[in-house]
Amino acid sequence: MQCHKATAEVNGLCNMKKVADLCSVNGFSEAALDKKKHNKPDEVALSAMEEAYSTILRGLGENTERQGLKSTPGRAARAMQFFTKGYRETVQDVLNDAVFDEDHDEMVIVKDIEMFSLCEHHLVPFFGKVHIGYLPNQKIVGLSKLARVVEIYSRRLQVQERLTKQIAIAIVEALKPAGVAVIVEAEHMCMVMRGVQKKNSRTITSAMLGVFREDPKTREEFLSLIKS
Amino acid sequence: MERTKANLSDNLTGTPQTANRHLEERLATTKYPARTGSSQGVCENGIPLSTVPDSWKEERTRSLEDNEMSLPSLAAAYTTILRGLGEDPERQGLLKTPWRAATAMQYFTKGYQEKITDVLNDAIFDEDHDEMVIVKDIDMFSMCEHHLVPFIGKVHIGYLPNKRVLGLSKLARIVEIYSRRLQVQERLTKQIAVAITEALKPAGVGVVIEATHMCMVMRGVQKMNSKTVTSTMLGVFREDPKTREEFLTLIKS
Repeated sequence: MQCHKATAEVNGLCNMKKVADLCSVNGFSEAALDKKKHNKPDEVALSAMEEAYSTILRGLGENTERQGLKSTPGRAARAMQFFTKGYRETVQDVLNDAVFDEDHDEMVIVKDIEMFSLCEHHLVPFFGKVHIGYLPNQKIVGLSKLARVVEIYSRRLQVQERLTKQIAIAIVEALKPAGVAVIVEAEHMCMVMRGVQKKNSRTITSAMLGVFREDPKTREEFLSLIKS
Repeated sequence: MERTKANLSDNLTGTPQTANRHLEERLATTKYPARTGSSQGVCENGIPLSTVPDSWKEERTRSLEDNEMSLPSLAAAYTTILRGLGEDPERQGLLKTPWRAATAMQYFTKGYQEKITDVLNDAIFDEDHDEMVIVKDIDMFSMCEHHLVPFIGKVHIGYLPNKRVLGLSKLARIVEIYSRRLQVQERLTKQIAVAITEALKPAGVGVVIEATHMCMVMRGVQKMNSKTVTSTMLGVFREDPKTREEFLTLIKS
């Protein structure tokens, strides 16, 4: 189905080895989902999901008729749609208006952006903070748009590595800056609530593109600024 | 301390069930007094009312065989959900996700497989100790029954023994049994308190839970820093403000 292929492309695109190739390809934003198809959550899909959640409740041994659980399939289905609303949004819509020409060539950092996502392996939340820094090249972006880009990519079934890279590439593609750095640190409930059950462990991933990758001093400045 | 001596003498010379008066009340009524609009026939766990007096023993027992047998239908349900979200269940990252998610959900509700009696029977000891015993900062992970989204927090338990003490880790195990279910924080707090009361018949029990609800943080109102605090005070903890105050002060430090 077309929408599945588009999603797969969006998510699969970041498996490519050479990140630099992507900067010259316009295709990244074209690979976003066809917006007309996914403007609002599909009603048919919603009722199928509600049925699925009823099955899950019964399969867990619960009594679906009791007061607390009566509307749970509907609530859980809508909650899950909210947690994956990033599939229905494109970076173009969010960024198009807020790119400005400005003669600024110093580092711009937005840090401690709260991020909530869903692990695609267990369908269990992982959440944390995102720190983004970029070195503008004649173009700057509205600051909240960085947070909105984080929202678009985090509200999906994700893997932290891919999330980091997608955010970095979206900014590169929109602004063509001299460099972009993204760091995501998160706690994975799939590790905390089950499995190894290590409560205090955090996973940190980073994507350094352009000057941040080539010049160690730039990278060092970014890393020390986000720590303070 | 005066209050413990006074209550101990109450227990020795007064009615034996003084400390458990509130429990007696609960057993005698057909539904929780504070609850409005609950259905007539069952209490909120779905357990028929006739078995409420034995509720802490009458655990829902899901067995490992049940788990295995329901796994395929759970996995199929999760595949439907993935498709409904617009994802492609055939892509590499999602290929085994229905099975992993189903197993994870069974783990998050493993409290239905366990019985309090199995956990507690051996570890109740006769001990002439009448001072407060507190186990605090017990990490708790549960699932909100309304949205099927986790809520996580800490549980603080205190009790005043009446000749019987409980192995300390058993308090944490009781928390595990009741939290690994589809829960509501209020009910979870009460179930923990009632289980300890029924097992030990102590002079009093206090349970405080503070938790962060992902259903409020990740969606809906999206208030990141909000915490929900619920408490259940039974016996001496309910009647004597100083005892309660001592408990609350000790868990804060």
